[in-house]
Amino acid sequence: MTMPTDVGVIDLMIATPFRAGARTYQFLRANLRDRESLDEFEFPAQYMFKDVPHPEAGDDPVRFLLEQMDRFGIEKGMLGVSFSEERSADSLRALKQHPDRFFGSLEVDPNRGMDAVRDLQRAVEELGVKAATAFPAGLYPQVPINDAKFYPIYAKCIELDIPICVCAGVPGPRVPFAPQYVGLIDEVCWYFPELKFVTRHGCEPWADLAVKLLLKWPNLYYSTSAFAPRYYPEAVVKFANTRGADKVMYAGYYPMGLSLDRIFKEMPDVPFRDHVWPKFLRENAERVFKLS
Amino acid sequence: MSSEAFEKARADLGVIDTMIGFPAPREEQAKHYDFIRRQTHDADSQEWEFPAQYMFKGVPHYDKVDDPVEMLLAKMNQHGITRALTGMAVDGNAKIALERHPDRFIASTNTDPNQGMDAVRKLEQDVRVHGARAVNCWGTGLIPQVPLNDKKMYPIYAKCIELDIPIFVYAGVPGPRIRFAPQEVALLDEVCWFFPELKIVTRHGGEPWSELMVKLLLKWPNLHYSTSAFAPKHYNKDIIHFANTRGADKVIYAGYYPMGLDIDRIFAELPHVPFRDHVWPKFLYENAARLLKV
Amino acid sequence: MTAYETARAGGVVDTAVGFPKSREDMFEFYEFIRKGSHDAATTAGELEFPAGYMFKNVPKWESDEMGDPVEMLFLEHQRHGITQAIVGVEDEVGRRAVRDLPDHFFASIGIDPNEGMDAVRKIDRYANEFDLKAVGAFPSGLYPQVALNDKMFYPIYAKCIEVGVAFCSTAGVPGPRLQFAPQEVALIDEVCWFFPELVFVTRHGCEPWTALAAKLLLKWPNLYYSTTAFAPKYYPADIINFANTRGADKVIFSGYFPAGLTYERIFNELPGVPFRDHVWQKFLRENAQRVFKLPAEDLS
Repeated sequence: MTMPTDVGVIDLMIATPFRAGARTYQFLRANLRDRESLDEFEFPAQYMFKDVPHPEAGDDPVRFLLEQMDRFGIEKGMLGVSFSEERSADSLRALKQHPDRFFGSLEVDPNRGMDAVRDLQRAVEELGVKAATAFPAGLYPQVPINDAKFYPIYAKCIELDIPICVCAGVPGPRVPFAPQYVGLIDEVCWYFPELKFVTRHGCEPWADLAVKLLLKWPNLYYSTSAFAPRYYPEAVVKFANTRGADKVMYAGYYPMGLSLDRIFKEMPDVPFRDHVWPKFLRENAERVFKLS
Repeated sequence: MSSEAFEKARADLGVIDTMIGFPAPREEQAKHYDFIRRQTHDADSQEWEFPAQYMFKGVPHYDKVDDPVEMLLAKMNQHGITRALTGMAVDGNAKIALERHPDRFIASTNTDPNQGMDAVRKLEQDVRVHGARAVNCWGTGLIPQVPLNDKKMYPIYAKCIELDIPIFVYAGVPGPRIRFAPQEVALLDEVCWFFPELKIVTRHGGEPWSELMVKLLLKWPNLHYSTSAFAPKHYNKDIIHFANTRGADKVIYAGYYPMGLDIDRIFAELPHVPFRDHVWPKFLYENAARLLKV
Repeated sequence: MTAYETARAGGVVDTAVGFPKSREDMFEFYEFIRKGSHDAATTAGELEFPAGYMFKNVPKWESDEMGDPVEMLFLEHQRHGITQAIVGVEDEVGRRAVRDLPDHFFASIGIDPNEGMDAVRKIDRYANEFDLKAVGAFPSGLYPQVALNDKMFYPIYAKCIEVGVAFCSTAGVPGPRLQFAPQEVALIDEVCWFFPELVFVTRHGCEPWTALAAKLLLKWPNLYYSTTAFAPKYYPADIINFANTRGADKVIFSGYFPAGLTYERIFNELPGVPFRDHVWQKFLRENAQRVFKLPAEDLS
């Protein structure tokens, strides 16, 4: 049960530190109604996190991030990107300059219809992205995981043979959870059995249901983004140790809510069995995201 | 440890019971539940005196009650309950109690959103003219049932915000044999999102969705939980843990006398609830005092 | 004089009027519709007016043709015998109009239930500042769209009742290429059932469910129909028939100036509408004055 230190970790959720004044969470405002989130919170889920990192990245956030990754043995990190230069300048540069260290996932908004489908195709062709990502409860208007608007995106992911990473479970930001109810994934996996669907952000409080579905649907996977290792749901750890060693993947949340120090300090205490560790930290991601 | 802190909080501040009723003779009490029987389909519910009686041991029964107000007050005094939130219109008792002992009783009005604008106007009247400081709505017991996130609730919620009063609603599977759908815990999420200013207090446990209940209590600053209808030995573990960690300000004491629990039983069990010391004064008094503006 | 001419001489109320704007300003105003559209003609702005494919000769002013919008509208009204008009007061132009010409211009606002309690408070705020006559909504044009029977609308309806102001909404398939579902006529039934006191005035035709609209107008005493956005030659036969039979008190004249129709066209076509004699006066003036609580005097 010892965590190996030499596997070359793949982190399925990492980002370059935000530039000063970047309006990172501006997109969420339209869905927020409460004053505290609108007027006071810098990070809309901050009430859930202790010690949200505020790294001083200097003028080269890409270099800074690489140094952090080296410190913790992270060989590759997946960055969320969009075609918006304002939002993604640093990530796009990172992909271009360090293709051996970073790979991209395109943030999709199904509200944009065929434009979103076309963007995804273009992102694979031009940016070499390895996945699509979506935050159903954060979209405006919100789009449930099993909504018709998502279906052309799912179909395109299958055509392009890339996974889609989707937030599932009660979201931290104070927006309705209904679009990310874990039960909705069942219908999608049934209709698109070929779709590689990777959950993000914990699936809580429906972790038991998530495990049932992970067992039921061969192409459904779980990633641990936004959860400090000490809070990984028991049901998921147990599943990884029994039938699900190939289905659970490491994702961090740096710098959005967790520091790498904290993640890798807590990580060795997760009671994964020996055979799970290399799969969890690297091999599953390598296979699902086709990185080799 | 826990029980000392309980005693100290009770002695220093007193206790607010956010759900209490006046004792009544058996037949009268049984008749009070006719509104529930009307929407049950099983034979037991038609016969039982109390439609959730299969869940409770030692439900209080009285053959005769001389003065319900003084009888309740004596019970309260015996256990250090300094104030009680009570309905306004169930019978004449509430009126008497509120007039005779305004320092001991706080009025809560009841609402039926099926009444549309009449319900909105009644709510406003009861608060502005008759001094109600909270409103109660058991949507699942109404005919037709009104789910927590139903549009009929929305004008009521808006009015609560305007009047700046909390609404007490019911969450979790109800004891009486009627459908639970209108009070599934998950429904609260949408309401709290659309009305972030609305002060909501859940009643009757939120079970079996207590994990979700905790998630939502953490997520929504104006959502609260009260322990009505649960004997302290059955207080939900997730809720106790939440109160002891991040939720000390969100969990509120409520009993269930005389409907299902005797106050003697509640206060025999209460000191054994493993709340941490700092939780007790908030649980017994301060959280309710803040919401009800005591 | 015909019944139409007599009625018109007594004054005409237009219950939904906008102030003239330059083409550029008008284009900018329609941004909210482009935002919710998916078709290229609309999103790319090829359709200057998102429902432009339905209208001939939409009024337009280049920016150098623009004068004072209040004066322009008032002159237009004098030229065509419009004696009272309901206008938006959410910008300075509208506010000035109601302040300077209080016998002619009356206040209304638009509402977006997505704003929750802020929308409810907005009604209170305007009702305190103005003699508010109407609260208007365009369910298909909201972003996100909000159906007429959606819970988000319910606190708005309750507030309209409290304040005693009429609620006006577009109903029927909208011209702009947005989904019609949020304003299907059938949805009105539930609203009128739950809020029988709500004064609900439909706008923009209720097509193609005009037979249903007539049924509901008959069923619900506080439901009314106004003819916004329809040139008189296209008034639905079901509605004319209803006005001529049991509904003389329920159908209310409105134009669509300057969004889509000129008053020249409206008043050229209006005499051709086969209303019966007793309907005209109610249609052009009296119903609006009663429903929107406007001062009522016969000017003829």
